[in-house]
Amino acid sequence: MAHIELVGLEKRFGEARALAGVSLDIEEGVLAAILGPSGCGKTTLLRVVAGLERPGAGRVRVAGEDITDLAPERRGLGMMFQSYALLPHMTVAENLRFPLRMQRLGDRRQQAEKVDWALELVQLGGMASRYPRQLSGGQQQRVALARALIAGPRVLLLDEPLSNLDAQLRKDMQLELIELHRQLRLTTLLVTHDQEEALSLADVVVLMRAGGVEQTGTPRAIYEQPATPFAAEFLGAANLLEVDARPAEGGGWRVTLAPGVSLPVSAPADPRAGKRTLMLRQEDMVVMAGPVAGGVEAELGTVAFQGATCRAVVRLAGHRLRVVAPSAALAGLESGRRVYLEWPEGRALLL
Amino acid sequence: MVGGVPLAAKAAAAVLVAACVTFMLVPLAVVVASSFSASEFLVFPPRGFSLRWYEEILGSREYTGAAWTSLRLAAVVTALSLLIGTAVAIALVRGRIPGTRTLVALFLSPLVLPTIIFGIGLLMVFSHYGDGPSFTALAVGHVVVTLPYVVRTVAAVLEGADPSVEEAARTMGANAWQRYWHVVIPQCRAGMLAGAFFAFNISFDEAVIALFLRVPGSETLPLTIYSKLEFSPDPSVAAASSVLIGLTVLLVVLMERALGIQSLTR
Repeated sequence: MAHIELVGLEKRFGEARALAGVSLDIEEGVLAAILGPSGCGKTTLLRVVAGLERPGAGRVRVAGEDITDLAPERRGLGMMFQSYALLPHMTVAENLRFPLRMQRLGDRRQQAEKVDWALELVQLGGMASRYPRQLSGGQQQRVALARALIAGPRVLLLDEPLSNLDAQLRKDMQLELIELHRQLRLTTLLVTHDQEEALSLADVVVLMRAGGVEQTGTPRAIYEQPATPFAAEFLGAANLLEVDARPAEGGGWRVTLAPGVSLPVSAPADPRAGKRTLMLRQEDMVVMAGPVAGGVEAELGTVAFQGATCRAVVRLAGHRLRVVAPSAALAGLESGRRVYLEWPEGRALLL
Repeated sequence: MVGGVPLAAKAAAAVLVAACVTFMLVPLAVVVASSFSASEFLVFPPRGFSLRWYEEILGSREYTGAAWTSLRLAAVVTALSLLIGTAVAIALVRGRIPGTRTLVALFLSPLVLPTIIFGIGLLMVFSHYGDGPSFTALAVGHVVVTLPYVVRTVAAVLEGADPSVEEAARTMGANAWQRYWHVVIPQCRAGMLAGAFFAFNISFDEAVIALFLRVPGSETLPLTIYSKLEFSPDPSVAAASSVLIGLTVLLVVLMERALGIQSLTR
């Protein structure tokens, strides 16, 4: 039995369908990232689990208990809000003690010990008597996180926990979140619109689109084996090409990009021949100056240098492909010249 | 900024500000100055210098009694407006009540209602259904006038507060009462303090409703000053007024200390 079981959840706001029948099982101790573009229903899903929204249909179960009709204050879940939602009139320590007081967990001394433990956990030792407005964004974020988990919740809910931090801090906090999750093993639902955040933090990625679950899987599986063009596009901005695909003689498949330009690809899971979408990841393509066996001829377009890598546009049989390549590989190649493209076997995927 | 505001506009602004300040402060200065007059009659400029009229009002049962009535009244009115006004503001801002706009208009209507008409109506109501003018009647009348100020200041603060703080409190296990007590009301504190300040000052200063609902023998300070001015205008009127001015300034200073003026406009 999964720790979190969501069954057929639906939610409407007036005419808009925020959740259109979401079912999901999350195992105990797993950090699941709910990923999707804005308006896909991911925050609504989190709020339904928290009890802040009442679903129009469906059930929410945690550890086997049906909590669909339970008020949020009786669910025993910890939630961290995007705005942090710290109590502005309370100090850091008072904010951390608040859930313990409200849930009557332990006496005063035990609560104080727990607060110290939480402060230590998020490395805010000296900040206990500060007010939220006296803290930096990163420190406020840590207080909010510590407050969400101090009462030992059955599930930790994080709504865009890192989105208000600047880029460098966000990277550091990603690592700390992973560390924290390893340490505490709290079953966690994390909502994010940032695919990189989802891939680096989560054990399981739940990709949402228009109120439904598009695909669920480990970060690697969902990145390497996207089930739909939407999944391919949303995770890592893939090149999607309309091609003609059919089985080749002697096993394997061939796709035709344009009359006279065809390539071998590995056999797809779905054996429909004809018009298909071919996915080519930007970083999988190898650009070379001279011809190689199995390579295809293409024309190099604009190249943007960005340090270790370059982003480039390559025109291949009328298709415009985005490529990310090591800067060294593109050194000395001007736009407009003839190049040769190659990609590892199995990295071109028919969707 | 380079050449943003024309010189003529700057000059016009300076003249306007100067005029406003003059018209606000000069009458107050005149009153305070006349209160130190040694003469028998209220005159300006004052003649001589003396503190006798301050002695006079401190020794006068008429003034001290009226001051006590006004203080009690303002205290009761402030407490009631705070209690009701805060609850109303929370309901208007956070409650999902149908017809909120109409309710807002209703609660803010005393701001635009002519108090003289309201005073007559209140007198008629209390005469018909009760024993006519009384301290209670006057307090009720004042609460109606001061309530909009509390509703406004508290609502303004609450509208600026992050509603997810209350949701967060829910997820942390706070029930409805605990949320009001530990989360909502503390966040309203600045608005409540500002509202209390307005309510106290308005009630302490109010003369129109007090005129209709006056209880002979226990009138409020503004009315006492008014009748004194009408029947025997000596500088004690100015002395009493100066005390009123001083009290208001003191309140403003305390308020500024507690909140900072910015927080009223934020």
